[in-house]
Amino acid sequence: MSGLRPRFEDLFVGYVIPGRTTHILRNQIKTYADASGDQNPLHQDDDFARAVGFPGVIAHGMLTMGELAHCLTDWLGDPAALVRLKVQFRAPVFVDDVIVAEGRVKSLDLKARTAVLDVWVSLKRDGNTEYPIRKGEAVASFAER
Amino acid sequence: MNATLEGKVYPDATFTVEPERVNLFRAAIGEELAIVPPTFATAAEFTVMPFIVGDAELGLDFTRVVHAEQEYEWYRRVRMGEALTVRSRIASIRQKARNGFLTIETEVLDRDGRLVVLARATMIERGT
Repeated sequence: MSGLRPRFEDLFVGYVIPGRTTHILRNQIKTYADASGDQNPLHQDDDFARAVGFPGVIAHGMLTMGELAHCLTDWLGDPAALVRLKVQFRAPVFVDDVIVAEGRVKSLDLKARTAVLDVWVSLKRDGNTEYPIRKGEAVASFAER
Repeated sequence: MNATLEGKVYPDATFTVEPERVNLFRAAIGEELAIVPPTFATAAEFTVMPFIVGDAELGLDFTRVVHAEQEYEWYRRVRMGEALTVRSRIASIRQKARNGFLTIETEVLDRDGRLVVLARATMIERGT
């Protein structure tokens, strides 16, 4: 958190939002399950996860989305400035993965003072880049509130 | 999955934004600021979600379900301590190739009935 809110006037198409890197831990996934209420065993029980085709428990997609939203609200300096977020979950996140949430400005509406952002979450696995979230889109409002 | 259930509305649930729960959620996503994170709306959604995925009439096979898409529209900031109403419905059920697509739309309303958050969750039931 820089403490400096971006000014709408300083944005441009292609403007890069500071990324957020998170090392996903097993107890973090458990905490997320209790906090969100999503107690699907896929996120807590290795045997269940293996039975449905994963090598072990996977993080909730919504936890990954939460980290992405955190990246955006840190940049915006105001959680209420985030008015829309839509994501597709495209790859699993395993315990000990290091995920990176990022984004850039896709378009600006000068009249409404809103910015549409391309957002995504990536990780490196076996030398490849995978995208737990890709083609995400967010809308941030810089209108006076 | 029973496609005739498109449009089904589930009973309203009440969700109170409890500080302890918010703090647990902040810990899970590493939020150091004393705010209600926007995606805390997920906790409200999950007051009704288990009744949908566990709805015998819908007949979802949980072992074949993956969360494919999620969308939130926020109309105002969620306030600590406030009581919210959570209203979910099955917005659509589609079959594409061997996979079933279920979209659940959830309105989170304040005590005046005003929309605070709109959530759309799309699940895929993978074909066997």
